[in-house]
Amino acid sequence: MPDILFVKPTLPRAGALVLPLAEGFTLSGLAKEADEATGGAIARGLEAAGFKGKKGQSCTLWAPGGHLSRVVAVGLGAVPDERGAEAAGGAAWPLISGEPEAMVAAEGLNAALAATLAFGARLRSYRFDKYRTKESAEDKPKLVRLTVASAEPEAARAAHAPLSAVADGVFLARDLVSEPPNVLFPEEMAERCRKLEKLGVEVEILGPKELKELGFGALLGVAQGSAREPRVVVMQWKGASKGGKGDGKAAPVAFIGKGVTFDTGGISIKPAAGMEDMKFDMAGAGAVIGAMAALAGRKAKVDAVGLVGLVENMPSGTAQRPGDVVKSLSGQTVEVINTDAEGRLVLADVLWYARERFKPRFMVDLATLTGAIIIALGHEHAGLFSNDDDLAQKLAAAGTAVGEGLWRMPLGEAYDKALKSDIADMKNVGGRPGGSVTAAQFIQRFIDTREGPMPWAHLDIAGTAWATKDSATVPKGATAFGVRLLDRLVAEHYEG
Amino acid sequence: MRLRLRTHLGPKAAARPRLLPWRAGDPAPLPDMPFTPGTARWREGMAIAPGPDWEKAGAAGMAVLPEGTRRAVLDARVLRPREAVAMALGALLRAPPGFRLDIWHDGEAAALVLLCRDARAVLKGVALARCLTAAPGNALTPKTFAKRLRRLEKLGIAVHVLGRRQLRAAGFGALLAVGEGSVNPPRLVVLRWRGRIAVPPLVLVGKGITFDTGGLCLKPAEGMEAMRTDMAGAAACAGAMLALALRDSPAPVAAVLPLAENAIGGTAYRPGDVITTLSGQTVEVVDTDAEGRLVLADALTYAVRAFRPEAVVDIATLTGAVITALGHHRAGLFGNDPPLAAALCAAGEAVGECLWPLPIGEGHRRDLESEMADIRQCATGRHQPDACHAAAFLREFLGETPPAWAHLDMAGMVDEPADRPPGAAPIPGGFGVRLLDALVASRFEDPHRT
Repeated sequence: MPDILFVKPTLPRAGALVLPLAEGFTLSGLAKEADEATGGAIARGLEAAGFKGKKGQSCTLWAPGGHLSRVVAVGLGAVPDERGAEAAGGAAWPLISGEPEAMVAAEGLNAALAATLAFGARLRSYRFDKYRTKESAEDKPKLVRLTVASAEPEAARAAHAPLSAVADGVFLARDLVSEPPNVLFPEEMAERCRKLEKLGVEVEILGPKELKELGFGALLGVAQGSAREPRVVVMQWKGASKGGKGDGKAAPVAFIGKGVTFDTGGISIKPAAGMEDMKFDMAGAGAVIGAMAALAGRKAKVDAVGLVGLVENMPSGTAQRPGDVVKSLSGQTVEVINTDAEGRLVLADVLWYARERFKPRFMVDLATLTGAIIIALGHEHAGLFSNDDDLAQKLAAAGTAVGEGLWRMPLGEAYDKALKSDIADMKNVGGRPGGSVTAAQFIQRFIDTREGPMPWAHLDIAGTAWATKDSATVPKGATAFGVRLLDRLVAEHYEG
Repeated sequence: MRLRLRTHLGPKAAARPRLLPWRAGDPAPLPDMPFTPGTARWREGMAIAPGPDWEKAGAAGMAVLPEGTRRAVLDARVLRPREAVAMALGALLRAPPGFRLDIWHDGEAAALVLLCRDARAVLKGVALARCLTAAPGNALTPKTFAKRLRRLEKLGIAVHVLGRRQLRAAGFGALLAVGEGSVNPPRLVVLRWRGRIAVPPLVLVGKGITFDTGGLCLKPAEGMEAMRTDMAGAAACAGAMLALALRDSPAPVAAVLPLAENAIGGTAYRPGDVITTLSGQTVEVVDTDAEGRLVLADALTYAVRAFRPEAVVDIATLTGAVITALGHHRAGLFGNDPPLAAALCAAGEAVGECLWPLPIGEGHRRDLESEMADIRQCATGRHQPDACHAAAFLREFLGETPPAWAHLDMAGMVDEPADRPPGAAPIPGGFGVRLLDALVASRFEDPHRT
């Protein structure tokens, strides 16, 4: 990850120069200086390349003169805005990462947009290369320091600090999701949560003994086939109460994540093709951990709890069988029809526990829950299910603002009927039709509303947790979908 | 099916089975009865049905009438006209063919007469759609379907049928490609109701695959018989047109119905074929079983060119993906015009034919990039958001300046709903008629609308 420095504009003597340009641009400031230093090569080069400053457009001019090894122009679109600046930074990264040094001529942007552009570049710089033992130094990115020239470097630095914390949270989540399943199993994942203590997060880990005593029957049923023990991790960030404002009694916001560190499907085993993808079946938990790191890292003035249910779903002599009936923490019984519908069993107990223990203002759970959501929406939107229009609207707006799109999906009694069991309170699957909706209905049965309304939203991120190709700020691989969304939700509505 | 009004009951009518509405707060008609909305009880010659959802009450009441009942009286004296007709409609939508229902009321006949006319219109429209949808594939071919629709001329609907030769001359390449594997050649039927308002019409477009084998990409044998209902979209449009004519709607509305049989044969179209559509755009065929979007593409182009419509709504049993997404309780709604989408959603909720909006994302369109034609018909591989892809495909066929457009994927709504009242008669199809009729009534009948 490169260091980001904000400085007053001075033309660099070497390396790469990045020019973020809006549509209809005329070269000014550093860009103009550089153009003059290169005898007009930059203006001519952009003209010849047909660069117009459109969103997503970029162009590289090699060795234009003036000791610069390359000039990279990136389009900001018609009017520079947050999304455009971020995308421009992301687009610039792969074009400059081969240089040891690079400067962004952002003095024409305000401090916030300059910071956002740097944030975009940093998000794109993510790389999970710890297991590539033979990659030569030449093949790795060389850029260690990205200098951003700004008219107000102080203000830009201040604007970048919280974004940097969010980027740290995103990278943490991407690391967790990218780790192979033999390395990252429930116990290891819980240990990695402990690292949040350095940021001031209180971390509490519940092991199998505690979970059994508490009555996490549904979660333990999923875990019982694996040699790896399950864990539930409770992370508390008391940014409102400790930060001064709150009295420590305000209800926290609660984020809950599905963390199946590897999902074979269990006895209802999955087909071999594509099973390796199931290492990212803990991406919901990864996002919650990343979001807690982001909130604590930027000292958000909010009380937030994050809970993740960590299990491995394996077939074995001790594994749960189709037909088993388990008793969940809520007391409700579940007939397990398909052991591959395990995520909802884990969430059922963790959501119930979160509600009972913390009485939160609202709960949002994230889970790579169903293949059906991919067939419903594809990979551009995660499914949003909620019992509360206000919370749903706030989540959707936060998602739009950070480029993590949500699409509202229905809930309703008619769907709930598909869960009827002949011998228990419910089945764990409702069939193929409306598969994501019936999964959400299942989870909703574990949102305790006996003591009044409990605003809740469920994000089915099965289609958005992993990217098969690069996009502006998300390289191929783990996306950390949800980290920025949750952080933005809190920043917009729940701090102060 | 017959619906009549009467203010007095003769001795014969008084002896008939009775539907008795029960309003919340009123004393129980008989002792020891719980007030349970959505259910009805048969006691002492009466089907006692609690409100306040009177349509549901009518359906529940119908379900508990003794088997073989052919005539009944709805005792509507405690109901307002609108409630009485809602209850009658609910009952008759569940009734066996030929059922006769009398509404017994006291006064306010003027409002009731008008409401009854509208209800009869809707019932006839739904009955037509059901009858067409239930017809087997050998009985209902594109030709016989078109012939059946000719009968609508008597009601003042202009019916225009394009046969194979005309389709070829006009360049309906997509419709012809789908239909030419069959010995029953395709047709395009255009229905037109002029109404009384001088504005561009609303055009309905309905998928009418009279039987869908899947073509060379043959469907599995299991369940293939249900593919006789793959013309339910066209049937819904035809039913809605009938309802509009019977209730003398002032709105100008047209329907464009591409009818074809997707069969296997030496002349069938192949995966890999490139076809030139009516719009001039070329399409790379990937899966001959994704034929619905092809016939709709040509029909949409025709609708936009021929009518310069105010809005276009297409309805189709289009994808299995929409069933995975929304199950059998809601149809998928796509489009380019939020007000039209909102009006459709509201109309759907009002008549109990519910919709849910689904997205057309940039990525969905990108997935259809073809290396050899203007667009691919669908994407390949597992886990595809095929309903979204189909909608993204259709959007390309609305012309240079697209009108307001909505696309309804009703693949999940052909089978009877799972939540029908216990004991109620199964209802094959009919989805869409009431929805489209209600849309016209709510959005297209005001002459002063802007």
